[in-house]
Amino acid sequence: MFEGLKGKLAGVKSRLGGVIIENAEEIETPVEVTPPIEAPAAVSPPTEPADAAPDEAPSSSPADAAPGPSVPEPEKRTLSGFFRRSKAGQPDEPAPAEPPAPEPALPVTDVEGAQKTGIFTKLKVLVTERELILKEDDVREVLDELEIVLLESDVALPVTEEIIDHVRRDLVGRHRKFRESPDEIVTETLRDALLEVLGAGFDLPGYIRGHERPVRILFTGVNGTGKTTTVAKVGAYLKREGFSVVIAAGDTFRAGAIEQIDIHAERLGIRVIQHKQGGDPSAVIYDAVEYAQAHGLDVVLADTAGRFHNKQNLMNQLGKIRRVMKPDLVFYVDEAIAGNDAVIRAEEFDKTVGADGIVLTKADMDPKGGAAISIAHTIGKPLVFLGTGQGYDDLQPFTPAGMVADLLGTAEA
Amino acid sequence: MVNKVEREVQVLQHYLNEYGQQMEMLSQQLQMIENGRAEAAAAAETLTTLAASEDGTVLLPVGAGASLRVKVLEPDQVLLSIGANVVVERQNAEAKSFLEDRMLEMEASGKRVAETFGKIQGQANEVARRLDQIYRAVQQGQAPPAPTG
Repeated sequence: MFEGLKGKLAGVKSRLGGVIIENAEEIETPVEVTPPIEAPAAVSPPTEPADAAPDEAPSSSPADAAPGPSVPEPEKRTLSGFFRRSKAGQPDEPAPAEPPAPEPALPVTDVEGAQKTGIFTKLKVLVTERELILKEDDVREVLDELEIVLLESDVALPVTEEIIDHVRRDLVGRHRKFRESPDEIVTETLRDALLEVLGAGFDLPGYIRGHERPVRILFTGVNGTGKTTTVAKVGAYLKREGFSVVIAAGDTFRAGAIEQIDIHAERLGIRVIQHKQGGDPSAVIYDAVEYAQAHGLDVVLADTAGRFHNKQNLMNQLGKIRRVMKPDLVFYVDEAIAGNDAVIRAEEFDKTVGADGIVLTKADMDPKGGAAISIAHTIGKPLVFLGTGQGYDDLQPFTPAGMVADLLGTAEA
Repeated sequence: MVNKVEREVQVLQHYLNEYGQQMEMLSQQLQMIENGRAEAAAAAETLTTLAASEDGTVLLPVGAGASLRVKVLEPDQVLLSIGANVVVERQNAEAKSFLEDRMLEMEASGKRVAETFGKIQGQANEVARRLDQIYRAVQQGQAPPAPTG
């Protein structure tokens, strides 16, 4: 699913990671550390002799003696420089591996011993860190590439712009501590940007559990996108989730549609309410709702004939269905492979009959993923399911985190 | 017994119809992909020819076999629809490279659709074979053999 986009995003991630490595700078930051008396070799102790004034080292501020964070090192170094410098003002003096022990020949009092311990309790050392400050120019080329990748993948222009803006905001001009790998920084940025446009998703079982039964779900959409099969798949999914379901064979127009849903329902063990072909779909759906109420069922799934939003008579029929059924949810069904066309159609459908959620079918055949990424943001309604194959189980409840993890090749957050 | 056989025939016939519809749909998709690939190939070829042309003169087909000799003002600047209804201006070579990439993508998509088509065709053949078995058994007055596999 969306293999083309995944491959292209991996390329962009890699290039953006390269930009980060090129622009990450080492800076020196004063950090207070409290090492044990037997300080580990990695944190170099001060180099004063044992008889030096005890307050000397702690009282000297690193800001006075050494360059602070405001004076970054121009040269770029590797992380191996961590903790390399031991004392303010004496960066290059070699440090002993261990703090010097008190001379046995010159015993010290307990007070003096405590003061010596104090030398080591609060060491201000300069820690070399890598900090990331990217400028607009650093990322322009890669962001242009990301923009083209998204547009080529049929991600709608406003959504593409939103993603690019998010990535730019997240990376450009910000001081970021560079403790993680560049891949993590890029992945996190892209993940946040994609999650922002994908919205919150929709938990259908949760909705049903918190709603008065039966929950009435109407499926609408254009011709040939797989509505009837989707109704069967959603029925199978809800059955697996423990809900009782009845299907209304509301597509009384298309030859074979009633028979098709009948066979699906029989195979799934779901009751189907049907009239003759050419009958009034509102009547079929009304009967199905009555049946569900009489039998205490959880969900009514109403199939309808495919129609284009500009066919006024068919849209009027849908208006009647809505008045009769009073659906709790209207799901618009379209195919992912239609790309941006699916987004435009969903928008038009939402304007004319309304939609509460989207189901995209044939996502397994879509290498681009543009519709799946754009649709929720464009029409402001959540993507609920993705159809991913021919079987009844080939219906994925859509979760933004899952999709982003899949696109970026990471574990789900 | 008769009812059971009738029911099986009905269900198998329905499957066969379903598979037929799916194959029809996939076949249309394959045709669309092939048309798109051919269109991209033609565009890439035209851009190549245009780049090689000294004065940017090409034949412009206007339909019904009629063509005009036209001179392209900016043969190196191509307005290219890259997706999501967005058109960008690209240099000839870049546009050609984009079209070639698109052709490769479409070939990969075509391959996937063809694989699915083959799978469904196999299933449809299985169903047709079983239906044939039942028809022959009924004609010979025998009980149809139990389905295999």
